[in-house]
Amino acid sequence: MSKASVIYDKFDRHSHAEGLKGHATHYCPGCGHGLAHKFLAEAIDELGVQDRTVAISPVGCSVFLYYYFDVGNSQAAHGRAPAVALGHKFANPDSIVISYQGDGDLASIGLAETISTAQLGAPITVIFINNAIYGMTGGQMAPTTLMGQTSSTSPSGRNEYNGQPMKMAEIIAGLDGPVYVERVALYDAKQRIKAKKAIRKALRNQVEGRGYSFIEVLAECPTHLKMSPEETESWVKDFMEPVFPLGVKKDITVEPWFKRNPPSFNGEKILSLAGATSEHPERHSKGFPTHLAPHDVSLKLAGSGGDGAQTAAMLIARSAINEGFDATHIPSYGPESRGGTSYADVHVAEEEVLNPGSPDPQVLIAFNAPSLAKFGPTVRKGGYVIYDSSVVTDPPALDPSIKVFPVPFTGIATDLGKAVVKNIVALGALQAATGIFPKETMLTAIRVALKDKCALIPLNEEAFAWGIKSVEALAN
Amino acid sequence: MALKERPKPFLLPEYCKGCGRCIDACAKDCITLGTQINPLTGLVPVDLDLTNCNACGLCMDACPEPYGLRPAHEGQILDFELEDPAKLFGVKPSDAPEPQDVPTEVLPLPRTEPLVIKGTYASAIGAILAGCRHVYGYPITPSTEGAELMAKFLPKLDGTFLQAVSEVAAVNMMYGTAGAGLPTMTFTSSPGFSLMLEGVSYMIGSELPGVFVDIMRGGPGLGNIAPEQSDIKLACHGLGHGNTHAITLAPSTPQEMLDLTMLAFELSFKYRNPVVLLGDGYLGQMTGKVQLPGTMLKPGVPKWAVYGDAIHRKNLISSIFLTETDLEAHNVHLNSKYEAMKVEARAESFLCDDADVILVACNTPARTAKGAVQELRHLGIKAGLFRPITLWPFPVEQLRMALQGASRLMVVEASAGQLEDELRLALSKAGIRNYPEIESVRRMGGVLPQQSEIMTRVLGQKEVLA
Repeated sequence: MSKASVIYDKFDRHSHAEGLKGHATHYCPGCGHGLAHKFLAEAIDELGVQDRTVAISPVGCSVFLYYYFDVGNSQAAHGRAPAVALGHKFANPDSIVISYQGDGDLASIGLAETISTAQLGAPITVIFINNAIYGMTGGQMAPTTLMGQTSSTSPSGRNEYNGQPMKMAEIIAGLDGPVYVERVALYDAKQRIKAKKAIRKALRNQVEGRGYSFIEVLAECPTHLKMSPEETESWVKDFMEPVFPLGVKKDITVEPWFKRNPPSFNGEKILSLAGATSEHPERHSKGFPTHLAPHDVSLKLAGSGGDGAQTAAMLIARSAINEGFDATHIPSYGPESRGGTSYADVHVAEEEVLNPGSPDPQVLIAFNAPSLAKFGPTVRKGGYVIYDSSVVTDPPALDPSIKVFPVPFTGIATDLGKAVVKNIVALGALQAATGIFPKETMLTAIRVALKDKCALIPLNEEAFAWGIKSVEALAN
Repeated sequence: MALKERPKPFLLPEYCKGCGRCIDACAKDCITLGTQINPLTGLVPVDLDLTNCNACGLCMDACPEPYGLRPAHEGQILDFELEDPAKLFGVKPSDAPEPQDVPTEVLPLPRTEPLVIKGTYASAIGAILAGCRHVYGYPITPSTEGAELMAKFLPKLDGTFLQAVSEVAAVNMMYGTAGAGLPTMTFTSSPGFSLMLEGVSYMIGSELPGVFVDIMRGGPGLGNIAPEQSDIKLACHGLGHGNTHAITLAPSTPQEMLDLTMLAFELSFKYRNPVVLLGDGYLGQMTGKVQLPGTMLKPGVPKWAVYGDAIHRKNLISSIFLTETDLEAHNVHLNSKYEAMKVEARAESFLCDDADVILVACNTPARTAKGAVQELRHLGIKAGLFRPITLWPFPVEQLRMALQGASRLMVVEASAGQLEDELRLALSKAGIRNYPEIESVRRMGGVLPQQSEIMTRVLGQKEVLA
C-alpha cells in the first residue's frame, strides 16, 4: 500500500530527475506499468531480497525500470532479457533475477529466448506486461494485439493476414520447465490483489530455488488505445480478458533443486582434467632425425575414418614433443560423419614447425588404395611410402627414388585379433622404415595414450613389434 | 489494527497524473477527476475529499505512481503546499553502500610437461586458467570442440556451460554473466559471430568484458567449414552498430591459442570491453605443443558489477543514454579507451631487420609465410615475416620498423584482402606514405595460400589469384 522501500526515494537516474520529476514515473497517466512496478517492489520488500535482486530492464516502455528499483540493474537488448537473466543467475545462483518484459520484447523479437529459458526451468521470475500494443515505438501492432484491433501497423484492424494474438501464458504453461504460470489483470481492486499475490509467489518460487515462474499481466495502455484510463480498464476487462483468460495456468510443487556449488579453482584438478603431468618423459633419441630432413620432417597419413590415421598422427606428434622437438598435426576429413576420408598432416621440427601443412610430404602412410593413388605422387624425391598391402593390391608406380614399404597392416592386426590396431602396426613400420624416433620413444607415447586402458597395452606393443618385423622382413 | 487507525490517503498533486484509476477503486466516492491544471506539471490531478473516507486503502493500491496516493502518517500535512521533495521524502536517494572490488587472486600452478592438444582445446584450457567458469555457446563447425571440452570440464569444476538456443541468446547470456562481473566466453565461427554482433555492440556500449573465440570459416553465407580469414573486417571494423572497437588477437599456433586466450581475458577486464580472438579452421583443429603457465586466476568481482549482492546493489549495467550530449560524452569516453588500447598492439617480426621483402600474414598463413621466408633465405633472398598479433589495434609502429629498408611488401592471406585493408588503413592513419607497393597472395573459399605460391610470387612476380 505504501511505497515499497525498493523504490528509490528519488529517481536520480531519470534524465530530468530535478525537483518533482524525481518522484514521478515516466509512464503515461493510467499506465499499468506503474502498478506492476509497485507490486513487484512490494514483493521484493516482503521477501527481504532487495540486496540480492538483479532486475533486467528490457527494451520497451519499461526500458527505464532501473530508474525506480533500488536493486542491481541490468538493461538488456530487445527480446534478450531472459538470456541476460540466465547469465546473471548462473553467475551468482544466490541472486534473485527478474526479467521484466513487454509484449513486443517477450512475445515477438525475443520468442526464442522466452521459450527456451522457460523450458530450461532455472529459477528466474518473468513478469510479462501484455497491453496488446507496442507502446514505446508508438502504437504499432503487437503479437498480442486483438483481432480487429487497430494500430498504426494494422490501421484497418488486425486481420487473418496478421495472424492471431499470441497467448503466452498458455504457451509457457504447456512447457515442462516452468513451475508456476498465471495471468492476472489490474483493472479492479480484486484483480490487483490477485496480481500482487501472483507476483509475490513467482518471486518466492525463485527465492526458494523451486523453478521458473511466469506472470502475465494484462495492463492498460490508455495512450495508444486512445482511451481514457477508466475506459482502458473496461476495455481490458471486456475485450482482452475473453481472449486472454485470467487465472493460474500451471502450478506444480517442486522441491527446491537449484543449488550450485561455488566454482572450483583447484589447480591440481584442472591439470588432471587437461591431462597435464609433471612426469618428465624419458628421452631416447640421440638427436633430430637429420637423415630424413635437416630441420623439419613432413609426413602425411591418409585413409578412411576408422583406420586410425589421426590417432597414429597424434602419437607421432606426442613422440616428437616428448623428445623435446616441436610437432604439429592437422586433421582433415571428408564431409561424411563416418567412414569418409581421413587425412593427417604431421610435421616434426627440430626447433619450430614453420609450415604445418604437408602438400609434399617426405613420408606417406597410406591405409587404402585411393589414398596411395592420391598422395603417392606428392611424396618428395627420396621419400618414404608405407602402405597397407592387405588392401592395396595394385600399387601405382612411384618415382624410383622413393623407398616403398608394403606392409599388411590389416592382415597383421586381424591376426592379432583386433583390426583397430592396424594404425599401430603402421607406426611400427614407420619406425623401422624411417628410424624417425627410437622404438622406445614411440612405445612410451603409445603406453601413455593407453594409460586409462592398460589392458590394451600388450596388444598394441605386439602390433608395433609386428610392424617393425614386417619392414625388417622386406629388407631381407 | 482497528479500522479507524489505518491511515487515510495523502496526495501531493504534483505527483498525480490525473489518470483516475483511484476513482473507481473508492467505494465512498471521495475522489473525483480534477478540473484545475497543475501549473508545475501541466497535468490535472484528482481532487480528494476525505470526509467520508474509511481508510480502506484501495485507492492507494490502484494508483500506478509510487509517489502518488500514499498513506498519510501522523502529523503529516493534509493541506497541500508545495514543498521540497527532499523534505518530504528525505535527501538520501538510496542506502546502497558504495560498491567495492572483490580482488582477483593469482594462484600458483605446478610446472608440467607440455600438452599435445588442438588449438580449440588450448583456448578452452587457457580460458579455464584465466578463471572463466561460465561458457555459453551454440554448436558450429569448426569451433565446436572448444565448446565440447568446456561442456565436459566445467561441470567438474562447478562451472556452467549452457548451450543456448542460438548465438543471439549465447552472447546475451555472456552479457548477463559479464554484467555480474565474471569472466565469460564463447566459441563460435563466422556465421555465428555475425549473429552475435548485436550483443557485442551492447557489451561495448555497456562496457562489459567477454572473450569471443571465432574460428573463422569460408563465407559469405553458409560458405563452407574450411579455413578462411573471413572475419577480420567484422572484428576490426564491424562489431555491430555504433562506435565500436575491440582488441582483436590473431594466434598462429596452438600455444598462442592458449596464451592469447588468457591475454584476452586480462585485456577484456582491463578495458571493460570485449576481446575477439580470431583463429582459422586449421588452427582450431591443429594439434601442437602447448606449455601451461605457472599461474592461474581466481576471479573476484569488480566494483562496477551487478553481482546480486549488497555491495554491488548500487550498480547499473546499461548502454542507453537518452540525452544526446550524454551519449556523445559516453562515446568520447569509449574513444579514449580505444585510444588507450593502442599500447596493446603486438607483432612478431621474423627476420625483418635486414629484409628486402617483407611478407605480412597472420594465423595459419603466417606459418606458411614463415616457411617461405626460410626457403627464400636459403635461396639468398632477404625475406622477413611481419606477423600482426593484434589486428586491432594494428601494430603499425612495429610495421614501420619492419619496413625500414624493405623494397617489397607482400600481404599473404586467406581472404579477399581483409588483412590488407587493415594494413592500408593503419598506414594511412599513421601518416606513413613511404612504403613499397603492396603485392598480395590471396586465396579464398577455404583454400590457404601455399608456400609454393608465396615463393612463386616473390621469385617470379607472377600474379596469384589477386
